[in-house]
Amino acid sequence: MSWIEKLYQTYENNTDAIGSRSDSVPLLPICHTTQNAHISISIDADGNFLRATVLPKLGARTIIPATEDSAGRTSGTTPHPLCDKLQYVAADYGEYGGEKDPCFDNYIELLKKWIAMDNLQWKLKAVATYVEKRKVIADLVKASALYAEDDSRLIDEWTSENAAPEIFRLLPGGYDNKGKKKPWQADAFVRWSVETPGDPQPEVWLDQGLWRSWENYYGSLKSTKSLCFVTGAEIPLADQHPAKIRNDGDKAKLISSNDLSGYTFRGRFTSADEACGVGFQVTQKAHSALRWLIARQGRRDGEQAVVAWAVSGADVPDPQADTFSFLFGGEQTAPPKVGYTAQEIGAALSKRIAGYTAKLKSTDDVVVIGLDSATPGRMAISYYRELTGSEFLERIESWHTGCCWQQYFGKDRIFFGAPAPRDIAEVAYGRRIDEKLRKATIERLLPCIVDGALIPRDLVESCIRRASNRNGIEYWEWEKALGIACALFRYHHKERSYPMALDRELRSRDYLYGRLLALAERLEERALYVGGEKRSTSAEKLMQRFADRPYSTWRVLETGLTPYKVRLNGKRHGFLNAVQQEIDAVCDLFERDDFSSDKRLSGEFLLGYHCQRAALRPVAGPDATDKSEDSDN
Amino acid sequence: MRSRIDFKVTGRFALFTDPLTKIGGEKCSYHIPTYEALKGIAKSIYWKPTFVWVIDKVRVMRRIRTQSKSMKPLVFHGIYPSEKDPAKKQEPFNTLAIYTYLADVEYQVQAHFEWNPYRNDLADDRDPDKHWHVAKRMVEKGGRQDVFLGTRECQGYVEPCAFGEGKGEYDGCGELAYGLMFHGFDYPDETGTRELHSRFWRPVMKDGVVLFPEPKEFLQQSSDKAREFVREMIPNPPSSNGLREEGLLDELD
Repeated sequence: MSWIEKLYQTYENNTDAIGSRSDSVPLLPICHTTQNAHISISIDADGNFLRATVLPKLGARTIIPATEDSAGRTSGTTPHPLCDKLQYVAADYGEYGGEKDPCFDNYIELLKKWIAMDNLQWKLKAVATYVEKRKVIADLVKASALYAEDDSRLIDEWTSENAAPEIFRLLPGGYDNKGKKKPWQADAFVRWSVETPGDPQPEVWLDQGLWRSWENYYGSLKSTKSLCFVTGAEIPLADQHPAKIRNDGDKAKLISSNDLSGYTFRGRFTSADEACGVGFQVTQKAHSALRWLIARQGRRDGEQAVVAWAVSGADVPDPQADTFSFLFGGEQTAPPKVGYTAQEIGAALSKRIAGYTAKLKSTDDVVVIGLDSATPGRMAISYYRELTGSEFLERIESWHTGCCWQQYFGKDRIFFGAPAPRDIAEVAYGRRIDEKLRKATIERLLPCIVDGALIPRDLVESCIRRASNRNGIEYWEWEKALGIACALFRYHHKERSYPMALDRELRSRDYLYGRLLALAERLEERALYVGGEKRSTSAEKLMQRFADRPYSTWRVLETGLTPYKVRLNGKRHGFLNAVQQEIDAVCDLFERDDFSSDKRLSGEFLLGYHCQRAALRPVAGPDATDKSEDSDN
Repeated sequence: MRSRIDFKVTGRFALFTDPLTKIGGEKCSYHIPTYEALKGIAKSIYWKPTFVWVIDKVRVMRRIRTQSKSMKPLVFHGIYPSEKDPAKKQEPFNTLAIYTYLADVEYQVQAHFEWNPYRNDLADDRDPDKHWHVAKRMVEKGGRQDVFLGTRECQGYVEPCAFGEGKGEYDGCGELAYGLMFHGFDYPDETGTRELHSRFWRPVMKDGVVLFPEPKEFLQQSSDKAREFVREMIPNPPSSNGLREEGLLDELD
């Protein structure tokens, strides 16, 4: 089903959440938008000024009724019907030095029309009575919410030595370094509070009766009906579609047509409404739902936003999270620091998935949508997928269990699991990856997670190449690359079902060569430690060459080990023996021609390397007697 | 009457633009082809004004996969000299957009032709065998004109096939509903009225197969089909009726 219809349904299923103050971006009632208010003015039911407060930034977000034009305004004279800037609500704006066109007349006209339609709303009447006294700014100055010089002009900028009052922190005034005027006191946005004894909700912007009243009034203005391309019904169509989808400053629209010259639809059609129409309520609700979802559970990365949600409103896991943050991200308790084993992660994962299954019905629709924009004004749907709830959870689980390896994301984040797309992109193309490439890579990885598709081979290869070359990158970065490359390779070759622990039976050439490399590294490392030296081993230095020409490089490595063997022979005899035995065992496993071939190694050798290295870790190392005196690594 | 053809059409990309995303310029594809797009493909294979192609059904063979591409569409008002500001030498020729395509598509299509009742001048050409054989031959040749999937930049390739043959990735997948979707246009030369209408319906894909309703079914109002008047349009069909055109034979002498 189309994306907009799904969003519309989501809105309808979540009407309880409308205006909820627990969301940072609330689900809006239709024909409403949000604005950050600066001043709250309290009046009584007869329209007498009581007091004014300057609002702290935190509680400033206000739901305000808006017309289609006013919600889409960039500058100009279309007022919001109830709460607006001083330029609109204060008739004495000009007298106090306001420089923009005063728009009080438009404002009061709109408000009066609304009152005429629904005269039960006494709060509206109180506001209208009050603003018609034409002394809003005068009152604000008297109440010390705004400051004026000689009672005639608002102060542009606080120049006095004394600490600046609240309002100057919100609207500092003055000029920026380009010489443009910054917002000042006269740009303050006002919201109302009408206080009467016995009324529990004085704030007009939280009054649900007012929301409905405005919806009804505004809906009644639209009389011409036409076919809605989403619902297929004959309903009043929207003239404009909402913006501000990804954040408050976002001007990009999903549906827009302001050009008759771009030839996007012309030819067969002569105007945009011939080409396409969407019901007013449909677009309002759908966009409001999308905005709410992105803020609540989406992921934004520059222009790109990706969000997965259930149409029913149930919680769904974030497909872009790595296993660690998927398991512990939302929880208050601190996750275990290190040493989390594959089994424990597996158990935690199925528990977490079961938690979702309890709330998300198997037939519930889950939608994943990716948004992106190339220019500031327009937004494109770059990814869209619908699944059933059970399918989605299955895919998420199989991603986390299938693309799983021991990850080293810094000391506090060692875990078994899948990496996040963002981390994969950074490993594949380096940390200073171009933003466009990163977005494109994330987009290519989404189908791997959401549809269970194979990871593109070039990405896997690229990660493997980076993990094989540890020169020039920092240790932790290389460790991270190694974990991710192993995870990707393992997922790419699902059919081979590689174990995460060392497999001593596996006779595949690349795997065995990986083991040899780890053994050589370990032997040399220990010898260096014993000799009190601190430098990188030749295995580390030659890793890249080893991956390209294993046979000839192994000759170099093995002959290079002789002096270290001599050194270990005296002090760590047991250890040396164990490693040598292991090397011999590995060499024994090779098929005859495999060993002597100098063919390039595939990513499989990283698996062998990683497993063998983990098996050699001193905790359960082969040389038990050595453990007490030895605490390297 | 033998009039039915089956063909397979493949392509690396397809863009069956969702009208919601068309007017703004950031095009995004529907997940399944529209009737109108398939009709266009049938017409590219073989067409005469004598008949009208009717698409019976389509079978989606490969998994529906989308891929977005960054585009640089032309800015028509920006072409030299600038319309906005004639003093300025030139505005950028391009704007930026992100189009979302279907990637790697394959469809099996079944279609048949029906005589166009509004072309009585071509009544003598209503020879089903002739047209059927030509159409079949043209399917084998890959069509008379270029085939494209939805938009011009998505080149398609036609081959003969037997509808339902082979393994599709949606076999046994059950039903998938797509909500309200564009079906096609009623052009005046096929309806006999001087009006352009667009048709909408609610497709359901069952095991990969979408059965299309015929355009004439949209003439009755129903809950799952909608027909919207777009604008007046004067039909301008090809007017020659072959050798009987007046004066044409004289020219041969």
